Amino acid sequence: MSGGNGVTPVLDMIAVTKTYGQGDSAVTALSEIDFHADPGEVVLVMGPSGAGKTTFLTIAGALLKPTSGSVTVSGINLIEARDSDLPDIRREKIGFVFQSFNLLEALNATENVTLVMSASRGGSPHRARELLNMMGLSHRLKSLPKNLSGGEKQRVAIARALANNPDLILADEPTANLDAARGREFMLLLKQIAVEMQKAVVIVTHDHRMREIASRIVWLEDGTFRVDVATAKDPVCNRVIEIEGAPNVEYASLRFYFCSDSCKDLFAKEPVRYAGRGG
Amino acid sequence: MLLVARKNLFSERTRLAISVGGVALSVFLISLLLSLYRGWDEKVGGYVEQANVDIWVGSTGTRDFLSAASIVPLDQTATLNNIPEIKVWAPIIVRPVQGIKVKFPERTDKDAEGEKMDMHFVGYDTEKNIGGPIKVIEGKDKPGPGEVIIDKALAKRYDVHLNDIISAGGTRWTVAGISEGGDFVVSQTVFVSLTDAQATLRMPNQATFIGIQLADGVNPDEFTAETEKQIPQAVAFTRVEFAAATRDIILGNILPILLVVLVLAFIVGLAVSGLTIYTATIEKGREYGIIKAVGFKNSYLYRLVFEQAIVTGAIGFIIGVGLTLSFGSFASSQVPQFVTLVHWQDLLAVLGATIVMSLLAGYVPVRRLAAIDPVEAFKA
Repeated sequence: MSGGNGVTPVLDMIAVTKTYGQGDSAVTALSEIDFHADPGEVVLVMGPSGAGKTTFLTIAGALLKPTSGSVTVSGINLIEARDSDLPDIRREKIGFVFQSFNLLEALNATENVTLVMSASRGGSPHRARELLNMMGLSHRLKSLPKNLSGGEKQRVAIARALANNPDLILADEPTANLDAARGREFMLLLKQIAVEMQKAVVIVTHDHRMREIASRIVWLEDGTFRVDVATAKDPVCNRVIEIEGAPNVEYASLRFYFCSDSCKDLFAKEPVRYAGRGG
Repeated sequence: MLLVARKNLFSERTRLAISVGGVALSVFLISLLLSLYRGWDEKVGGYVEQANVDIWVGSTGTRDFLSAASIVPLDQTATLNNIPEIKVWAPIIVRPVQGIKVKFPERTDKDAEGEKMDMHFVGYDTEKNIGGPIKVIEGKDKPGPGEVIIDKALAKRYDVHLNDIISAGGTRWTVAGISEGGDFVVSQTVFVSLTDAQATLRMPNQATFIGIQLADGVNPDEFTAETEKQIPQAVAFTRVEFAAATRDIILGNILPILLVVLVLAFIVGLAVSGLTIYTATIEKGREYGIIKAVGFKNSYLYRLVFEQAIVTGAIGFIIGVGLTLSFGSFASSQVPQFVTLVHWQDLLAVLGATIVMSLLAGYVPVRRLAAIDPVEAFKA
């Protein structure tokens, strides 16, 4: 299988459908989606809540098998793999970065990274320290998560994701719990990892700032990827939203779009405060 | 040990202390009760087992040494002299009596007497030396007229010393020796000469038991029936049988109670360690989900929980056994009836029970772990 540029994609999903339940109560979370992520690129998956982003991520992350379609990660067909092999595939081939950092509280930074290292890599604290140093955490090697800032925790999470040198990094709202400065710093780090280490980085996010580092952006809505979607940033909650059908107002000769009426109402109360942030 | 198991366990010291405390308490109770049982078992049957008597003969209906109401007329025992398999035999008189330590020997009034003591008078033939003290550790090795040799447990319990005077059976006796091996826990032996015992207990030409020593090579098991034929209305026991029956009288009633307490102690330990391990697992449910999400199998999580349970059990076992050893010796020094004997076989059994306890404590949370969905890790 090959991506559009002739490079073998790290993640390749073809005609993937995921349906929960059966009969009248069946809900289709993903419908016949095609997706690929190549080494060195950062792909943003955006879309409204309930669009199927989490289902997409869990299928791409070998946590869930689709109802139909094909999913390949680093050349391994996840559909054909036995359920008992999926944990090893996740551990060896995929790095996860979660919204809530998800570090183990009883382990320090080095131990959190060492934990996931495969036995074949010896669970080496040396490599863990190397990765943490690379993340600028050389002074935090022995720190417990409770003593780390949000940005530091997320960098430990990145080091953990890279522990087994996987080709694919899946990130779920990685900047959601970070302030603007930390968020930007983290974003650039992800970009650097993708380019310098030739990893495919797939990010599910609502954060419009991430567009800055994206090689591609795909819009997931109602279980399918849509093309040519015009988007705007909600100036109140900063979410990226599809323009079509969104509540909107005109202010100072500019049109502003909102994810919901409540954001629109907030804007209406203090337009000066929000006007410089969206559009 | 797995890194996460160790870290999880020791990062929450209070929970660990509660869990270990529960197991330690359980181990302490179980091993203390077992050692108490062993101690009593050894004491209660010890005299009968160690006395130089191969066959004990009592009147029909006799079942054990302590509660014997046996009376053997000595004019019916002469035939024993003609049996070549018998090396030597002698009458033994045994009666439970209440003695009193005399505080002021020079006085005869009631106020001269001190604490009352439960004891077993044992009158034996000091010449043939059958049924006498197992080992004399102080003073004379045979009681003379008006003299007694008392067991050291009695001496310690009632603070009786050599040359003290005790009153028993309406007679005053001088403590001429102190022996060991005659402690039945509920009472202790006081040895007097057969002549003195017959006179004091008004049992002329009678005995409670006949003690028989067999010639070399004679099997006691095969000779009891022959003995019963020789003495009318008699029943004969080997020393092993008689010791077992005596133990059964004291311990037979205690054993069911002991078993109930042992089971309760096990349940207490299981409940405390099980609950703490269960709550710890539930609280860390999200972390276990993360561990699954990043590529670990259920089997790894099971190991985590079982290792935590086993380590908790091991620490609890060590502390519990330590408590048993230290408390057992302390309690014995304060309360003479608190006789403990720690057997390594019992400790092994308690260790086994602790391992079972730990595995059971880990079993319920492990089932919960299997149901954790790694997708939970994606929830904020």
